[in-house]
Amino acid sequence: MASVTLKNIKKIYPNAQKKKRKGEPEKKSNLKITAEGVVAVEDFNLEIADKEFIVLVGPSGCGKSTTLRMVAGLEEISDGELLIDGVKVNDVAPKDRDIAMVFQSYALYPHMTVYDNMAFSLKMRKLPKDEIDKKVREAAEILDITQYLDRKPKALSGGQRQRVAIGRAIVRNPKVFLMDEPLSNLDAKLRNQMRAEIIKLRQRIDTTFIYVTHDQTEAMTLGDRIVIMRDGVVQQIGTPQEVFDHPANKFVAGFIGMPQMNFYDAELVKEDGKYAVVLEGAKVVLSEDKQANLAKNDVKSQSITLGVRPEHIQLKGDASQMIHGTVDVSEMMGSTIHLHVNACGQDSIVIVPMNDIHEEGIDVSIGAQVSFTFRGKNVNIFDRETEKNLEF
Amino acid sequence: MAPTLAAFCVGFIWPFLHGLYLSFCQFTTVNNAKWIGVGNYAKALADTSFIDSFKFTVAFVIVATLIINVTAFAIALALTKEMKGTNIFRTVFFMPNLIGGIVLGYIWQTLFNAVLMKMGQPLLALNTTAGYWGLIILLCWQQIGYMMIIYVAGLQNVPPDLMEAASIDGANNWQTLLKVKLPMVMPSITICLFLTITNAFKLFDQNLSLTAGDPAHTTEMMALNIYYTFYARAGAAWKGIGQAKAVIFFILVVIIGLTQLRATRSKEVQQ
Repeated sequence: MASVTLKNIKKIYPNAQKKKRKGEPEKKSNLKITAEGVVAVEDFNLEIADKEFIVLVGPSGCGKSTTLRMVAGLEEISDGELLIDGVKVNDVAPKDRDIAMVFQSYALYPHMTVYDNMAFSLKMRKLPKDEIDKKVREAAEILDITQYLDRKPKALSGGQRQRVAIGRAIVRNPKVFLMDEPLSNLDAKLRNQMRAEIIKLRQRIDTTFIYVTHDQTEAMTLGDRIVIMRDGVVQQIGTPQEVFDHPANKFVAGFIGMPQMNFYDAELVKEDGKYAVVLEGAKVVLSEDKQANLAKNDVKSQSITLGVRPEHIQLKGDASQMIHGTVDVSEMMGSTIHLHVNACGQDSIVIVPMNDIHEEGIDVSIGAQVSFTFRGKNVNIFDRETEKNLEF
Repeated sequence: MAPTLAAFCVGFIWPFLHGLYLSFCQFTTVNNAKWIGVGNYAKALADTSFIDSFKFTVAFVIVATLIINVTAFAIALALTKEMKGTNIFRTVFFMPNLIGGIVLGYIWQTLFNAVLMKMGQPLLALNTTAGYWGLIILLCWQQIGYMMIIYVAGLQNVPPDLMEAASIDGANNWQTLLKVKLPMVMPSITICLFLTITNAFKLFDQNLSLTAGDPAHTTEMMALNIYYTFYARAGAAWKGIGQAKAVIFFILVVIIGLTQLRATRSKEVQQ
């Protein structure tokens, strides 16, 4: 149980070759390259409170795992300060940081039984045998793996190995619990189940968590706060609700939320002190709070990127505010239908509840003409050049 | 399948069985053989030079195997750390293995004799201790590079995650080596031990060219002893005795090799 502070943390790989060897394909990322080398993590600042669950999320190569590995001590910190419980630990060895880590590959010792895997760290710390036994059995109880204690990892399924990996981490009561994409090797069903188990586990062991994932669903469901990263740079830090409702830029808006937010090239106009967005002739006046935010930033009329989430698009509204299009694809999801509508020269995704379709007899067959609009309170307005949210 | 089997029978099975038969015969050529029963074996085991060569061989194998494997593993460990020029070192260490045994023996004989002369010691032909250690140095020089390559391959196969997990779990370098790395490279250890033990046991060319068993057969290993029995002694009886010694030698190597394989295999893990 501890607070963790990252102050201006930086990671620079001195040459491109080393970067490649880490298995992160260089083509994909747009990492900054300076005279010193490739900047994998740039100026990372975060205060993690005691017992907080922080999720680092972003596409592959964004620096999230590197950041976690720096906290673990597996990767050297190029610049900046890392504090655990207020003590600077930049140069402290991993074993002395009082952290535990769950690896994506589980990293179980294949030549040891489950019991020995879990007891290893306690043996290294020279705890008395009976105490080790007690702790291992307790952890096994929590994770429901008592019956596998005598087995070797190869005799276990993926989910069971995952539990052992978690068990190995919790036996020590670490100050900070690090997890590096722990669920990405599991199939979809097991992943959902383990996600729920991690939430339960968190309530039981009540310590500080730093969790890395590329899956926005995991980030949203697990995190007290989410840190969204891209190309080594932190994009936004906030609670799941905050980053969903108020994305700081177009990248965050597109990354968080399934299906992805729709983006349109639109105009922001200010008439008589009131802001409105104009898209394909449809004009939607913004809500009061958005008006206030834009006015505060003294935003002028300009071309913008308009972002609207699929669930905020509606098929009825004022005729003057309607945008017209054709249904390209219609995906039945059970209680809703995801429509891919060709409008404004691009693909828009619209989520329509089945109830609406039945009650109002809307034609959603492929090729059907549909009209849609959105409310002023549900739009996100991004600068077309910088892609920043103009409300910030 | 069939041609391979035929070749195997003609090239291996038949000569082997015929050799086995000849060990129970008195013979001068393969076709001129007379069955005499187990007499050859009795004479072979009664031959003190054979027993002495066995003792010398065992003493040689134990020391050479230990030195070769410990050194090869240590070098492999060093060369799998990230440092510049590892590829060059790997090539350099491997090169001695490309030189034939006879040539090696003569080169080292010249070297050792020069050194012994400088030290004011008797030369190899008159110096059992120098002969023993000379053979060990020679074999180490030749084999360490080869075994190192196998250990390098094994070490590179150990997932880096395991090392990192061990470092977080609180293991120091030494503990990580003993508790994680070594168990993970057991397959390499098995194969290296097998190769060094059997190669050292069967050593012939280097023995012949470096010391030729001198002085007075005291640095004679089993293979060389069999060779001398077969070719260097006058009298029809010796060929059969040499043949019997060869069969005994074969059985020894098989027993030792299999025992070692079984012992180390059981320690191997699958990931």
